[in-house]
Amino acid sequence: MSESENLVLAVPSKGRLQENAAAFFARAGLALVQGRGARDYRGRIAGVDNVEVAFLSAAEIVTHLAAGTVHLGVTGEDLMRETVPEADAKFELLAPLGFGHANVVVAVPQAWIDVRTMADLEDVAAAFRAKRGERMRVATKYVNLTRRFFAAGHVTDYRIVESSGATEGAPAAGTAELIVDITTTGATLAANALKVLDDGIILRSEANLVASLTAPWGKASREAARVILSRIAAEEVARTTREVSARLAHVEVDLFAHAEVLFAARPRRHLADSWLTLTCPAEKVAALADWLLTQGAAEVTVAALDYVYAADDKLSEKLLARLP
Amino acid sequence: MGEPNSAACRAGSAAILAHLEAAGYRLCEPPILQKAAVFFESGEDIRSRLYLTSDPSGAEYCLRPEYTIPVCQHYLASEEAGRPAAFSYCGPVFRYRAEGPSEFLQAGLENFGRLDREAADAEVLGLALDAVASANGPKLAVRFGDAGLIHALLAALDLSPQWRRRILRGHAQDKALDVILAASGSSGGHDHSGVLAALEGADKQGARALVEDLLAIAGLSTVGGRSAAEIAERFLEQAALKSGPGFPAEQRAILENFLAIEADPDQASLRLRQLATDAHLNLAVTLDRFDARLGFMAARGLDVADFRFATRFARNLDYYTGFVFEARERGRQNDRPIIGGGRYDGLLRSLGAPAEIPAVGAAIWVERLSVSEGAGWWR
Repeated sequence: MSESENLVLAVPSKGRLQENAAAFFARAGLALVQGRGARDYRGRIAGVDNVEVAFLSAAEIVTHLAAGTVHLGVTGEDLMRETVPEADAKFELLAPLGFGHANVVVAVPQAWIDVRTMADLEDVAAAFRAKRGERMRVATKYVNLTRRFFAAGHVTDYRIVESSGATEGAPAAGTAELIVDITTTGATLAANALKVLDDGIILRSEANLVASLTAPWGKASREAARVILSRIAAEEVARTTREVSARLAHVEVDLFAHAEVLFAARPRRHLADSWLTLTCPAEKVAALADWLLTQGAAEVTVAALDYVYAADDKLSEKLLARLP
Repeated sequence: MGEPNSAACRAGSAAILAHLEAAGYRLCEPPILQKAAVFFESGEDIRSRLYLTSDPSGAEYCLRPEYTIPVCQHYLASEEAGRPAAFSYCGPVFRYRAEGPSEFLQAGLENFGRLDREAADAEVLGLALDAVASANGPKLAVRFGDAGLIHALLAALDLSPQWRRRILRGHAQDKALDVILAASGSSGGHDHSGVLAALEGADKQGARALVEDLLAIAGLSTVGGRSAAEIAERFLEQAALKSGPGFPAEQRAILENFLAIEADPDQASLRLRQLATDAHLNLAVTLDRFDARLGFMAARGLDVADFRFATRFARNLDYYTGFVFEARERGRQNDRPIIGGGRYDGLLRSLGAPAEIPAVGAAIWVERLSVSEGAGWWR
């Protein structure tokens, strides 16, 4: 796929995943430009050199990442771990993208009031087999995830029935006793009188920006990746960080040290007239503001940031650390 | 002996087969291409290692992953089915392995229909050891167990079915007794104590009927192949376990003593008998069989005192019902076994025999006879 030195970025070609991915890149200042018209499956990123965008189906993206024919791709962790054995050796999950949330879960009929955990399931499956001479059937399209998870829970008396669609209907239809499937809200499971086991979450999945470690990472593709990742990091850091300003009558010597230990806050500016500005993780903002008030501030202001570009962004570092 | 087609492997195979055939184990050579469905029933671990293919009609086939099931099928389809018969085999089997080649040579023997089980057990072990020796294999160390013993003990201890299931499975998975007994089935969440209080004093049938009614009122149709009665029964069993005094200390101590037994076979036999006497358990039939098997081994000239018996010893295929054993290269006991086998009296019936037929067999990893190899797994 990459006959040139270009970096190939694979993004979903249809549906909500495509929209979300496009919006994600746009927020980072990376406008995906599709070739002539919506039916062209090749594109580029406006203003970034040496990047080729491939619009592919979710399953194709995983296949290409595994084969090393694309460098970066947007894909769900569920598909990645299901399709590729030893995924961690072939991929680096650079960043969760905040959309495409779904859990892969073990769900049993609600009527099984005696079954709440995998240990219960193990027991019931063994009794089922002892009584009927047949194994309990598990309908799923996540064959490999199921096998791994069940083996870890010592559940062995089962048999997988492969199901490519409407898995949640299998128990009612009598084609399986229980299912392993993907769920976002659990509503579909409930509508089919199924419940998730207490410890039956196999994987909490969301869309990820994934790097292929087997792709040919030449000089140009590394540079293109650095540009893309630094912009994504700039947006991510900005989104998760707040800028906090206050004016203190008196600034204790160890104020910044305390702020760092207590709130992971970093100093940005400290002006002579006692104005100071810090940045801290968004979720610690209120606590930091409270604390500054107790330190003598009359007023604390908090501002959101648009972008925080850094010379050494975390995402590029993460990728480079895994490349030979 | 390295590659399956190497001269060493061919010579080893020939020597093993010659030895087994001379002992009356007729050569059985089932097709390499097998119908896959029967192996699906062997569990997902095995299924995940099959090399699958299908014909134009969509029927699934796989490359022979092992010999025992095909040899059983050959026997069941023959006129001898149900009568004593013995077979040997040697050829390539195909199982996916993350490391090492997925095609490897397996030789072995299967002995069907013998009611003198202990003699047949000893014969299969003895022949497998002799066959390896005839192929100039390394000196072997034998370790064995007996799946029948723990079954007999649990039956004699008069435990609830749930405890029995749990202990047997934990045993097969080689879990520590603490872990097995500590794992309370359901944890966290509500404990349904209201329902249980309402059921207090109700007789078993009444309680079951009430739980079934509750399920019906909640509109929970019993989907998923289990009946309301089954669910109600286990729910109540579970509740009784949880509100009960826990696992009885006396039985726990007996199990602990039992599972601690690992010794040379004659020592082990004495300790098992002592345990039965002390606990006032009648295990005479099972223990007599144990001793009879040792007698048949000694009569074949096997150095029984050199073997190691452990009550904990189990092989990770759950079809074994009695004698189970493995032999590894002496001094390299952490390597994978060179011989593995045991008694599987239930398998032929699950493959379609009208009644249980006694069966015992063993497999020999031909490539391991001279090359120490890391990877490998079941049987």
